[in-house]
Amino acid sequence: MAAEDLPSEFDVIILGTGLCESVVAAACSRVGQRVLHLDRQSYYASNWASFTFNGLLTWIQEQQAESQPDEVQDWSGQVEEGEDLIYLSQSDSSSISNLQVFCYTSEEDEEDDTPNTTEEEKGGGASEATEAADSNKEDEEETEKQEAEEQVAQDEGAEPEADQPCPSADPNQSEPVKKKKISLAQLVKEGRRFNIDLVSKLMYSRGSLVDLLIKSNVSRYAEFKNVSRILTYRQGKVEQVPCSRADVFASRQLSVIEKRKLMRFLTSCVEETEDQQAYNGRPYLEFLSDQQLGENLQHFLLYSIAMATEDTPTEVGLASTRHFLRCLGRYGNTPFLFPVYGLGEIPQCFCRMCAVFGGIYCLRHSVRCLLVDKDTNRCKAVIDSRGQRISCNHFVVEEGYVDAERKQTATPTRCVSRAVLITDGSVLPSDSDQQVSMVTIPPVEAELPSVRMVELCSSTMTCMPGTYLVHLTCQSVGSAYEDLSPLVTRMFHTTESSDQEERPSVLWCLYFNMVDGSGLEVEGHDLPSNMYLCSGPDGALGHDHTIKQAELIFQKILPEEDFCPPAPNPEDIIYDGENGNGNSAEGEELKDDELKDDEEPKEQEEELTEQEKEIKEQEEEIKEQEEEKEEEQGLESEKGQGLETEE
Amino acid sequence: MSMEDYDYLFKIVLIGNAGVGKTCLVRRFTQGLFPPGQGATIGVDFMIKTVEIKGEKVKLQIWDTAGQERFRSITQSYYRSANALILTYDITCEDSFRCLPEWLREIEQYANNQVVTILVGNKIDLAEKREVLRQRAEDFAEAQSMLYLETSAKESDNVEKLFLDLACELIREAKQNKLDNSDTAPMPGEGKTISYLSCCNVN
Repeated sequence: MAAEDLPSEFDVIILGTGLCESVVAAACSRVGQRVLHLDRQSYYASNWASFTFNGLLTWIQEQQAESQPDEVQDWSGQVEEGEDLIYLSQSDSSSISNLQVFCYTSEEDEEDDTPNTTEEEKGGGASEATEAADSNKEDEEETEKQEAEEQVAQDEGAEPEADQPCPSADPNQSEPVKKKKISLAQLVKEGRRFNIDLVSKLMYSRGSLVDLLIKSNVSRYAEFKNVSRILTYRQGKVEQVPCSRADVFASRQLSVIEKRKLMRFLTSCVEETEDQQAYNGRPYLEFLSDQQLGENLQHFLLYSIAMATEDTPTEVGLASTRHFLRCLGRYGNTPFLFPVYGLGEIPQCFCRMCAVFGGIYCLRHSVRCLLVDKDTNRCKAVIDSRGQRISCNHFVVEEGYVDAERKQTATPTRCVSRAVLITDGSVLPSDSDQQVSMVTIPPVEAELPSVRMVELCSSTMTCMPGTYLVHLTCQSVGSAYEDLSPLVTRMFHTTESSDQEERPSVLWCLYFNMVDGSGLEVEGHDLPSNMYLCSGPDGALGHDHTIKQAELIFQKILPEEDFCPPAPNPEDIIYDGENGNGNSAEGEELKDDELKDDEEPKEQEEELTEQEKEIKEQEEEIKEQEEEKEEEQGLESEKGQGLETEE
Repeated sequence: MSMEDYDYLFKIVLIGNAGVGKTCLVRRFTQGLFPPGQGATIGVDFMIKTVEIKGEKVKLQIWDTAGQERFRSITQSYYRSANALILTYDITCEDSFRCLPEWLREIEQYANNQVVTILVGNKIDLAEKREVLRQRAEDFAEAQSMLYLETSAKESDNVEKLFLDLACELIREAKQNKLDNSDTAPMPGEGKTISYLSCCNVN
């Protein structure tokens, strides 16, 4: 396992294993380029990574540790005539800031005499919390009041005696009235059942990532779940947003009139009209309110479907509404998919594709400096962390490896505020406890940003049974804690919230800010001409920015080549003597699939007619209840245009 | 949807140090070849072989590491949803045996709890160069509650048996799981591949 040397010549060297770098790696390797893909971390996916609970605790510790001043080594011996040396940055902590950890559950299991096997980790967790508070005091100028509040939280978490903030049931009681809280020790013990993403995004079912996964056959390395509900938070209540046709008809929150208005609106906005264009440049909210939809629908349409804010222009709001509608019903009841085991799987899937086509992988390995030809300003070779000179034609690097002085970035740097919560219940309990919910939350207070929440259940393999993993994301206004904790306090039960038993309790939570990668260009920096920068995760819900960037870089490296053509299906290329036929079943399935995407074959139409029948029945039911019969015809003629629903 | 041409489909994943003969085992089993042509693995994700066991058709999907083990950089996603793991070492290479605990840690971290693991000592055709005694490996396997088998991909010793034994064990487990279906905990692989999602349009 030890010290095998790397080959000394590659076509493309890629540093960092985030989504953008990994897609570029797969694309280059797929068309025959010799790719070396490195990451200085011991894990894949850089800031796109997902961690087990224990892995996350280690990551937190690493972020909090003082970055070691780099011993400057002299590589000038490796420099050949006519070459310049550019050193890369050796520490990566700059993209994460304001990290704070809170534990709201008891440290140990009360009843069980848990053997002290997890003693070490527990100690780790506790010191984590204290460290977080400390670093917070150092880093932040905060009001005393806030600090005091935090200290309370710390104490609650740190002291085993002060655990249950709410009066708990007598352990001897025969009928447990309130379920016992999961302790920190249990979270640690079951730590490997968690896959906690640093980034929280969803995959639009007709977005560029899903299209690329299907096109390239990388999709075979992962499994996905449908996001099952779109929720919104309004006037202190969590409500389900009816967005598919089936949902609209099934909804109990909407009156019959509202249902009709909503359907009519959604159907009408699929096509761009002059009426809409008249609102270009004016807020979408204004457009919506002129449609006489009523407050309920306006709220749903603005925040949950367009995922817009009050000042989003109409054309942008309409574009995202259309995108939402296009994605609806491709795979399920909502426009989104989520990868089982978390988003951190996706970059790894592209890395696997790269490796299958001969790419060489090496984690815990970095590049110290670049050797640049003075005349051509091209990077000829790199010197790796072992001092080996490796030549390359192109060098692709995640921006975190490059010193700030060399980058042209939009100033000031924008950040994303993130919170990760482990809770003991869903924000909207339903018949099934295995829902994946996307929740849009308008600003809960003036000055605060609107927040995106993704609540994951245990069947996504991202959290242990009995818990939910809640990701909060917003564009930073202040620190992650300032931006998000007011919302956490309102929607969940913590030691800081006024006692309201029905809300889910937060067991553990983490706040941090991450630099928003959307403001960086791949070229135009003070860097060699054959070197391309990949930005880290951006704050948007989808992956379009990253996929577009990866494709752009690929086209600059290999302008003539196809971007991620389908990898051959193993079942098609393997010759199995005894079993020549019947082996291609899955292959056909995939092809059918592609056809479906491009050409919308008959099958789907037939399906639709069946759906329509069902819908008709539903409609008839509604009609019976209806008082204003005159409008029936209007509704009938509109159906089946805008919304394709499943089932 | 038409019926697939098999009764069971299992994903089997190979791990172990570079050079212990993982690819050779797969090639020997699926194609009857040794040594596998160099470069032939480029672009090949996994190999398929359908076998018949007691009248039931079992499709084995066998995944290789794509070389990512060379610098200890296997993706976690490689382990996900594997039904069985073949942990391979080379009986003529002490070092490949010593690394087994490291591999087991990775398995514990990323593979699902129900995964069937078998330890394989390969290259028994090179008996005169043996560095790891059979008893030692058997003891180790037993302590870790793994099955153990010694093979030669070159001579085709025990290769067929390795995969057939695994298939039998997987069928047994699958039937067992069906019996005690009371367990409501979500199982790995509950998610769907994209193609499956779109063709069945299920929730």
